[in-house]
Formats: sequence, structure tokens, C-alpha cells
Amino acid sequence: MPAELCPPYAPFFGFAGVASAMIFSTVGAAFGTAKAGIGIAGLGTFKPELIMKSLVPVVMAGIIAVYGLVVSVLIAGNLTPSKGYPLAAGFIHLGAGISCGMTGIAAGYAIGLVGDSCVRAYVHEQRVFVSMILILIFAEVLGLYGLIVALLMNTRVTGLAGTCD
Amino acid sequence: MGYKTYASFGLPTFLIIIVALYLLFTDSGEAFNVGRFLEETSPFVWGSLGIGLCIGLSVLGAGWGIFLTGASILGGGVRTPRISTKNLISIIFCEVVAIYGVIMGIVYSSKLQTVSEAQLYTRDNYFTGYALFFGGLTVGFCNLLCGLCVGIAGSTAALADAADPTLFVKVLVVEVFGSVLGLFGLIIGLLMIGNAKEFLPGSPVVSAVRI
Repeated sequence: MPAELCPPYAPFFGFAGVASAMIFSTVGAAFGTAKAGIGIAGLGTFKPELIMKSLVPVVMAGIIAVYGLVVSVLIAGNLTPSKGYPLAAGFIHLGAGISCGMTGIAAGYAIGLVGDSCVRAYVHEQRVFVSMILILIFAEVLGLYGLIVALLMNTRVTGLAGTCD
Repeated sequence: MGYKTYASFGLPTFLIIIVALYLLFTDSGEAFNVGRFLEETSPFVWGSLGIGLCIGLSVLGAGWGIFLTGASILGGGVRTPRISTKNLISIIFCEVVAIYGVIMGIVYSSKLQTVSEAQLYTRDNYFTGYALFFGGLTVGFCNLLCGLCVGIAGSTAALADAADPTLFVKVLVVEVFGSVLGLFGLIIGLLMIGNAKEFLPGSPVVSAVRI
């Protein structure tokens, strides 16, 4: 029974989870950084003194990548060749990685588009700044939801510890 | 519906359905066995694919970023030649991404040791093969995305610099945030391979090999 529950190809799915968490959240972070950066450079040519405050979307896009990093590190920490690794744990890790990664794409996409259009509006109207921060927070929180679900799924794996003996 | 929609969505779906129904109706549904596929493919396949994708995708990202930035620098440099030397730093940011790929390629290739076919299919070797594949994929794609991001940011920095010289350092902050993405990929790549041993000969896992 343990041989069927812990096949040698189980780490494939665990590593796929690590890779999905990192790659997909990097997609979101890269899109957010690039798109918001275009808007910031545009703002800078008209009002250079406002650049520092409008770097907020870029920072928030970077945080999306950190969410992916956290989930990847957490999953990779559970993957060792010596300890038995059940197939169920592999699927749970894959699900956790996909959940963090796909929400990271969504959050990064939203942050990029919101950041770009809001900093362009910030050139003309200074009171837009507070609304921009609020909208960016709501977009960021999408990535946070993915992180929370990934962490919740990861805690389930500790319950499977004894199946490979 | 255009030809592109049919080709990209319709044709693959059609082929998948035909193959699945064929397997179903000719009583060979057991032929579709993901576990057996993962057990039968040699860990060398996974390892080599991972290393190739690692360096290939990283260099693709670096090249893409360099041409994005370079085109803007050269275009802006026609009217404002002073931007050409200072903006080479954006090109260097993109190049660094390729260096990450080379480093990880070298680190990963130290795990590829020669093992004979009869002694290859051990649990540890499977683990190392999968670690190399997904580590290489992670490093490659993260560097590709980082190169793209830094390229776009560098392109806008060059044009902002052409408009106003004081802007360059401030827009460079966006590039620094972008380049950190490649670094994260590198960290995860190293973490994945940290526990994996190199390919060592051993007694094969009994259920695995069907020669």
C-alpha cells in the first residue's frame, strides 16, 4: 500500500507546484512593473516632483512576486528525496502553486493597468492619488487571497506525514 | 470565425477528442497512463530539457530586453546624443539576466553524471531529474519575464532621459524593481536543486522499469 501511495514520480507534481507559483506570479509582477513604469515615465516628463509618490504601483507589483517566492520556498522546503513523499502531497502542492500563481497574474495585471492610467491622471489632478492607492490595495489583495489559500493547502500536507512508511 | 480561431482552438480540440474516443472505443484506454509515462521517461530527459530551457529562455529574455531598450536609445540618440552612454546601464541590467541563466546552467549540469541504463531508475534520480526540469523552467521563465520587464522600463527611461536629464535616475528605480524578478527566479532555482543529489547508480525501483 505505501508503495502505491508514494510512487517515485510524486515529486514531479510537487516541483510543478513550485514552478507554477514562481512563474505565474512573476508574469503578473513583470506586467505590473512594466505597465506602471510606462505611465511613471510619462508623468515624469510633465511633473518630475511627483515621481516618488507614483512609484507605489511598481512596489505593489513587486510584492506580488514576493507572494510567489514565499509559496515556492514553502513548497520546496517539503520536497526532499530521502523522506517519503505521497502522491497526494504532490497534488496538494501543485494546487497550492497554481492558486498562488494564477491570482498573482490577475493581481499584477490589475495593478499594471490601474497604475498606468492613474498616474497619467495624477499629472492633471492631484486628488486622484488617494483613490489610486485604494484601488491598488484592492487589486493587491487578490494576490493575497491566493497566498492565503496556498498556505492553507500547504498545512494539509503535514497531516499526510506517515503514509510512506 | 476566422482561420486563426479554427486553427488555434478548433483543431487541437478536435484532435484531442478524436484520439481520446479512439482509445476509448478500441478498449485501449489504459494506454493513457500519466504515471507510467513519468516512470518510463529517463531522468536524463528531464534534466537535459531543464538545463536547455534554463539557458535558452534566459538568453531569449536578455536579448528581447536588449533590443527593446537599444532601439529606444538609438532612436532617442538621434536628437539627443548625450543619452547614449548613460543609458547603457539599462542594457547591462538586461545582460545580467543572461548571466543568471549561464550560472544556473553550470550549477545544474554538475548534477548530470553518467549512469548506466540498468541502474538509472532510482527514487533519488527521478527526484533529481524532476528538480532539474522544473528548476530550469522556473529560472528560464523568470529571467525571460524579467528581461522583458527591464527592457520596457529601460526603453521608457531612455526616452524620459531624452526629454529631461534629471529623470533618468528616478525612472531607473522602476528598472531595479524589475530586475529583482530574475533574482527571485535564481533563488528558487537554487532552492529546488539544493536537496537533490547528482545522478548516482543504484538498484532500480521495482515497479518502474518496463524494458
